[in-house]
Amino acid sequence: MIKLENISHNYDGEKVLHAISFEIQKGDFVFLSGESGSGKSTLLSIMSTLMKASEGSLSLLHQDINEIKNIDSFRQSKIGFVFQFHYLIEYLTIFENLQLAALDEKKSNIQTLVDELGISELLHRYPNEISGGQRQRVALARALVNDAEIIFADEPTGSLDSKNSRIVYELLHEVAKRGTTVVVASHDMQVKEYANRVIRLVDGKVS
Amino acid sequence: MYSNMIQTNGDIIITQEGIADTFFSNIDISLLEKINELDEVKSSYAMIVGASPVANLPIVGIYGTTKSHFPHYKLQKGIYPKKGEVILGSNIETQITEKTIKIANKEFKVSGVFKSGIGFEEGGVVMNIEDASALFNKSASFIIVVAKSHENIAALIEKISVMDEDIEVKTTESFVQEYNQFKIIENSSLVISSLAFVMGLMGVTSIMSMIVSSRKKEFGIMRALGKSSLFIMKNLFVETIIVSSSAYLFAFILSTIILELVPSIDLLQGYVSGSISPNIALYVFISTLLMALFGALVPSFIASKTDPILLINQGCS
Repeated sequence: MIKLENISHNYDGEKVLHAISFEIQKGDFVFLSGESGSGKSTLLSIMSTLMKASEGSLSLLHQDINEIKNIDSFRQSKIGFVFQFHYLIEYLTIFENLQLAALDEKKSNIQTLVDELGISELLHRYPNEISGGQRQRVALARALVNDAEIIFADEPTGSLDSKNSRIVYELLHEVAKRGTTVVVASHDMQVKEYANRVIRLVDGKVS
Repeated sequence: MYSNMIQTNGDIIITQEGIADTFFSNIDISLLEKINELDEVKSSYAMIVGASPVANLPIVGIYGTTKSHFPHYKLQKGIYPKKGEVILGSNIETQITEKTIKIANKEFKVSGVFKSGIGFEEGGVVMNIEDASALFNKSASFIIVVAKSHENIAALIEKISVMDEDIEVKTTESFVQEYNQFKIIENSSLVISSLAFVMGLMGVTSIMSMIVSSRKKEFGIMRALGKSSLFIMKNLFVETIIVSSSAYLFAFILSTIILELVPSIDLLQGYVSGSISPNIALYVFISTLLMALFGALVPSFIASKTDPILLINQGCS
């Protein structure tokens, strides 16, 4: 499903990831743990095709990412993201944000998803008119709208209280149970309760 | 402007041979009679232009002209001047309250106030050419001829040219184009307005560039969601066209209003006027659009080559 071989990465000449190799199977809920600066966000960005690694190879869904002709289209149809700060587009309503992310043939998913996530009342509001927890649920809906096969979440509860954090983890856990692969990078050990696999990074290496 | 004064009144101008400035030109006014005898001539008049302190004003344009030209000056009050009289332009009327004024130590009675629509004249004094001749010690500065038909102007110029070897005969249009002072004013205006225009264009480019750069995070998010660089650039293209067209329209309307108001500003005394030709308007619009697109699309192209996560992080910093 996800295969990393000797992934290394440099920032301004400094090596932040050192020859990382592992595989993740379909339906896994993976907890990528580590202290701040351990390289987990960088690794997640590389795994999710948002950044190119300096060295090594990455395969997603059995395809070498360097051989994928249209990486944007691949990303839109196969991968979902949840970021720490939701990153909704401020001048679009919640509905427009979801529409922007959705493929044409998946736009019908929007209503089902917002009903499931309890945010159907918010569709015509703007991101700055709803709470942090609601924003993160919208971000989750955006990640799921195209029936992504892999969800990457980088500190998805970093800006939430414990109650809202639990809601987000339970939703991700539910998604993983349906067969979607979920990779969560976080320093919050609460994720461990939901993950079936933990990959710990220390100073850019898998420990 | 002075060029309007010459161009709007006639087809042909006769000045002294080799004298580049009408203020220094001196021709024989008796030519007027010979010119009026020509079949092709509809009308003609002679004029003396000069400048002198008038009443408490340090320098004022003095226009001495033949009676045939008086109807050009629309009287607002009073009557056309007889010998020893003048009419005042509407722009200096408020500054001269006396009924008798002194011009170069000679007393003149104010017989009326006129408007002509030309700032240069409305800021001056008009008198009989005989009085002006005595004042400036010359016969006439120039003669203006109105032809019956515009078809044989060249032939008419030929005919007039042979009447006196000390004269130069030209169409008013070519005279204005060749007149050095007009050229200096026109070129200076062109340089100043071109500089202002180029600076404006640089401003447009730089503002668009800053706006696009400040949206790096948004582009990063869009690319993370799988939107292609082409999709982002297409949206920016449309946005830029809408924004710059709206800004242009606003600027065009504002400029037109200002140009309408300028001639009636008291401080400028009607000397400053201008208009926006369709060609200039089109040229400015196209240049503005191109520079705005350049300012918007270059940074967005650079952004399209950057990893989405770097765009998001740069946008957050």
